[in-house]
Amino acid sequence: MDREVYLDYQSAKPVDPRVVEAMLPYFTERFGNPASLHAVGDRATAALDESRAAVAAFVGAQPDEIIFTAGATESNNLALIGYATRAKREGAHVVISEVEHISLHNIGKYLEKSGFRVTKVPPDRYGRIDPDKLRSRITEDTVLVSVGWASNEIGTIQPIPRIAEMLKGTGVALHVDAVAAEGLLPIDMSAVPVDLLTLSSNDIYGPPGLGALYVRKGVRLAAVTIGGGQENGLRSGTENLPAIVGMAAAARVAADELPRESVRLAGMRDRLIAAVLSTIPDSHLNGHPTERLPNNAHFRFDGIEGESLLLSMRDKGIAVSTGSACSSKTLEPSHTLISCGLLHQEAHGSLEFTFGRFSRDTDVDRVMEVLPEIVARLRRMSPLYETR
Amino acid sequence: MKSTQYSEKTLDHFRNPRNVGTLEGDDVAVGRVGNPVCGDIMEMYIRVRDDRIADIAFQTFGCGSAVATSSMTTELVKGMTLDEALAVTRRDVADALDGLPPIKMHCSNLAADALHDAIKNYRTGRKLEPMSAEEIAGAGTGCGTPAVAVVEGIGDYPGRGVYTAVADTSQLADKRVLIVDKGVASARLALALTEVTPRVIFLTELDALGLPDELATQVKRSDVKVLFQSRLAAVRGEGEVEKVLIHDLDEDNDYELFVDAVVLLGP
Repeated sequence: MDREVYLDYQSAKPVDPRVVEAMLPYFTERFGNPASLHAVGDRATAALDESRAAVAAFVGAQPDEIIFTAGATESNNLALIGYATRAKREGAHVVISEVEHISLHNIGKYLEKSGFRVTKVPPDRYGRIDPDKLRSRITEDTVLVSVGWASNEIGTIQPIPRIAEMLKGTGVALHVDAVAAEGLLPIDMSAVPVDLLTLSSNDIYGPPGLGALYVRKGVRLAAVTIGGGQENGLRSGTENLPAIVGMAAAARVAADELPRESVRLAGMRDRLIAAVLSTIPDSHLNGHPTERLPNNAHFRFDGIEGESLLLSMRDKGIAVSTGSACSSKTLEPSHTLISCGLLHQEAHGSLEFTFGRFSRDTDVDRVMEVLPEIVARLRRMSPLYETR
Repeated sequence: MKSTQYSEKTLDHFRNPRNVGTLEGDDVAVGRVGNPVCGDIMEMYIRVRDDRIADIAFQTFGCGSAVATSSMTTELVKGMTLDEALAVTRRDVADALDGLPPIKMHCSNLAADALHDAIKNYRTGRKLEPMSAEEIAGAGTGCGTPAVAVVEGIGDYPGRGVYTAVADTSQLADKRVLIVDKGVASARLALALTEVTPRVIFLTELDALGLPDELATQVKRSDVKVLFQSRLAAVRGEGEVEKVLIHDLDEDNDYELFVDAVVLLGP
C-alpha cells in the first residue's frame, strides 16, 4: 500500500503537534475552573484571558468581543437565533446566501418556523454573491444578513468587505461564517465592519469541539444556551479550558504562518487544477477561477458519479470529498453546486480536493498518477458518457 | 452506517465489476431505468436463447452500490430462465453481496428493475433505441392539436430575465441561459450564445434533436447542454429570474435549475 494521501482538509484537520503540546498541561497540573476563587481557579482565569486575547488578535478583534462555544455550528446558532430573537421587534426578515453550510440552511428553516421570513440569495455561476443583488433583497423588515466568507465546498471567496461596507449604518446586522477562510485568508475585524463572525478551532488545526463567535461591541444577542452565565451570559457552561488554550495556540501558529502557507497551498492547488483540466477530457473546475481559497480545487467530470470516483480514489489510498448525493445522508446532491446552476447529474460527478498544512507537492503527483485512469475506467462503463 | 461502509464483497464487485458493456444482435433486449436527477442510470442487456439468459451485460452511471448490485445481478441470473430471473429480488442481490447499508438499499432496485424491463422488452419485442427522424417528425404533427403548455411565472419577468427575442447576444454575456426548443431558430441562437457564455442549456421535449442533421451535429459538438424529454414548468425568482422548474417527461418528476435568463422565442 502506498502512503495515504489526505486531501480532504475541509472535512477535518489533524491537530498541530505544537497545539497538542500547549494543551497537555491543562488536562493535568494546570486544570481548574475559572469561576473558582482559589489560586487554582485564578490560574485558570489567567489562561482563559490570555487565550481569549490570542483568538481576538487572530481576527483583529478586542478580547471581550470573543465568545467561546462548542464549535462552529453552535456559533452559527448563537449568531442567527440569538440575534434574530433579540431583534424581532424591529423586524422579522433574515437574508441568507444560497451557498451556505447546511447548518445555516437548517437554522434558516428553524427561524421560519419561529415566525421569521427567510430569503435566500442565489449566487452567480461561480458561487459568488453579487452585493447589489443582496441589497435588492433587503426590506424595511430585514434585521440580519448571513453570508459566508468563503465556501467550504467550492472554495469561492465572497466579497465580504464590499457587503459589510454596504450594510454599515443601515441597521441590518451582518453575520459571516468564516470557518472555510480562517487561517487561509487574512480576516481583520478592525478593518471590515462585520457584526458577527463564526470561527472554528479545528479549522485552524486546533482541537475539535471548540469554536468561537466574534460579537462586535454593541451588538446585542439573546442567549441560546442557558445556565451559569459564563461567556458574558451568552454561552453558559464551564469553559473547556484545554481546548480553549489549544485554539489560542492554533491561532498564534496560523497567524504566524498564514502569508507563507497560503502561497504554498495555492501553488499545489494551481498545479493540480492545471494538470486535471489539461489531462482529463471533459473535466471542469467548479467555483471561481481566481477568487477561490488557496487550498481548494473542485472539479466535475462529465458522465461519471462522484461516489464511484471517491471509492476508486480510496482504493488508491487517496482521501477526497464529493458533492454527490450518494455520499450524503439525504441522498440529495450538494445544494451549493445546484445553486451555481449545475444539473443534478453534473453535481453528482464532482470531486473536491482540499490541501492543508501537511500536504506535500508529491500529493499532487500521486493524484495525477491515478485520477486519469480512474475517470477513464468509470466512463467506459457509463451510458451517459460519449466523446464528442 | 455510512454509505461507504460496504462489505468486502460489495467492494470487490465495485472494483472488478462482472459483465460490463453492451450486447448486440437480434436475440438481445435492453432495459433502461433510473434518472440522472437522483444520480443513477442503468442499462441492462440480455441475450435470450431457449428462454434462458445466455448472456448479460450492463452499463451504469451510478454510485458504488449501483455498480456492485448490477454486477452481482448479472452473475446471479446468467443461465436462469426468464421466469427464474424475474423472481430474483433486491433482497437476494443484497444478501449475495453480504448486505448493503440501509440508505443504499434503493440503489439495489435499479439492477433488478433494469433486468425486469429488459425481460419485458424481450417478451414484447420492444427495441429500446432513440426515436428515428420520422418518428420525431410524426410526434409533432400526428397527435392532433398540441396542448398549450402553461409555464407558471413566465409573464412575471419581462426585461428581468425572460426573453422572447435576443437581438444582441452580448446582453446575455456570461449568464446561465436556458433556451426552450422552438426549432431551428432557437438552436442557432443557442450556438451563437456559446460565443458569449459557457452555460447554454437547450430544453427540448423530444428524446432526440428534431433538427436538420447538420445543425443537430453542430449542437452535439458544441458546448450547448441539451436536456431531452424536458418541459419548462415554471420560472421563479424574487424580482428577477433566479431559477426554473423543469418537468422531466420521462420520469414524470420536477426539479429546479438555477439560471439567470430564460429564452422563449416568440412565434
